[in-house]
Amino acid sequence: MTAMTLTQSFVTALLQIVVLALFVFVAVPVIVFAERKVIGYVQLRLGYTRIAGGLHGVTGGLNRLMWWMGKLPFFSILRGFPSFIADGIKLFTKEDIVPEKADWWVFHFAPAISVVAAFTVLGIVSFSPAPLWTWPAAVPIVGGLPFAGVISDVNVGLLMLVGVASVGVYGIVLGGWASNSKYPLLGGLRSAAQIVSYEVPLTFSLLVPVVLSGTLNFTQMSQYLSGAPIQTSAGPAQMPALAILPLFIGFFIYLTCGFAETNRVPFDLPEAETELVAGFHTEYTGMKFGLFYLAEYANMIIVAAVAAAFFLGGHHFLPFGLQRFIPPSVPVVGGASFGWFLLWMALILFSYLWVRATLPRYRYDQLMHVGWKWLIPLSLANLCLAALVRYFA
Amino acid sequence: MRAYAAILLLALVAACIPVAVWTLAYFVAPKFPNPTKATNYECGITSPGEAREKFHVRYYLIAVMFLVFDVESVFLFPFAVQFKELALFGIIEIGIFLFLLLFGYFYIWKKGALNWE
Repeated sequence: MTAMTLTQSFVTALLQIVVLALFVFVAVPVIVFAERKVIGYVQLRLGYTRIAGGLHGVTGGLNRLMWWMGKLPFFSILRGFPSFIADGIKLFTKEDIVPEKADWWVFHFAPAISVVAAFTVLGIVSFSPAPLWTWPAAVPIVGGLPFAGVISDVNVGLLMLVGVASVGVYGIVLGGWASNSKYPLLGGLRSAAQIVSYEVPLTFSLLVPVVLSGTLNFTQMSQYLSGAPIQTSAGPAQMPALAILPLFIGFFIYLTCGFAETNRVPFDLPEAETELVAGFHTEYTGMKFGLFYLAEYANMIIVAAVAAAFFLGGHHFLPFGLQRFIPPSVPVVGGASFGWFLLWMALILFSYLWVRATLPRYRYDQLMHVGWKWLIPLSLANLCLAALVRYFA
Repeated sequence: MRAYAAILLLALVAACIPVAVWTLAYFVAPKFPNPTKATNYECGITSPGEAREKFHVRYYLIAVMFLVFDVESVFLFPFAVQFKELALFGIIEIGIFLFLLLFGYFYIWKKGALNWE
């Protein structure tokens, strides 16, 4: 590939960003739909199949559409999906109320901080090892250039991810503070305390694959986890068989902390509605609430992507280095592709819903107890185990 | 440098999302202001005074402890990446570092700073 001009790299990056944003805006309604459907089926319900509003107007049109979907063989299970259109319309057409006592600027900027942090992190995630497609030569400026599966595959990917992702907590705590109302303030404080507490074991568990492989880069890490030898700045590395043990423990610590970081069940204390109404976004209405919602789901996507890239198969079919038993010449399962990454992400996201349908909520002191007294020592011990494996293997 | 410029560009584009949302909501959303509506939600009771009063000291405690552990994890990153290169020297070095930290950790544990009551 010849070096790109400045204009070319600018336009390439811009196109990638637009596609990434579209990916998120498609993925979020899909996850919301899947969430309600999966929990519905777990609890032996149908989930939602229609929306309020009868047969009149826009909602009526959507209801008719969903009725027809119910008649068709495959689409009947997707019945209810078009209601995301109604959700969107509703969020936009709700009155935008700013409480009198609220700090106007901070109140508006808090959800924006959460959204910007979440989207920025997604730029570091490597979705595909190979370019997804090449622009046809007829396209101006970028014709003939590849469309990479990652916006920026930086060397310090993981460090940058941990750093930028923690900015998101500002959105929550500032949102709670700016509302100048008791429930949001308490919700924001609780949320901040929870997120910072679980960030420590989260980082420690993410250090396990880093110690083992010596790289912070998403693509290299995915290669390493497939069992292939990699060449890092700190020398060559190949996954030893024993590495599966710290990776396996680390994966479960990471997933637990990931649930807490995104304020999901069983750690959805900031939104404990019996105690705090809706937590930090009690005073938020309309699309400002929608932005918080978007950021939460984008964060779930990030947690899933990082779990996929740093513990599971990444771009490969089998996780924890088991991929080495499949020769690369085998079609589909032998190679690295975008599809496997999406599949791993979907599995993690499904586990979110599965846990939400299964487990009750923790009490706040239990949450802190688990985070500080169990997960931190456990993740540190696991890190030492990983270091031993790396040293002797 | 271009790799990081792409991320900066992404942050700028992402910043356009809330701006677009505010603008669209400004034109689409109905506006019926009302003094009661602009009060805080406190389950129907008139809110007395400000919400920003003193809150429990344990939130500060968590913040301080987090700061210690977060700085520690930042220090662990270079060690983790260069682990094989540093060999035995690195292990001893990080061992001393972790020992000091764990000493403090068990100290705050014994002091009861980790109890949330």
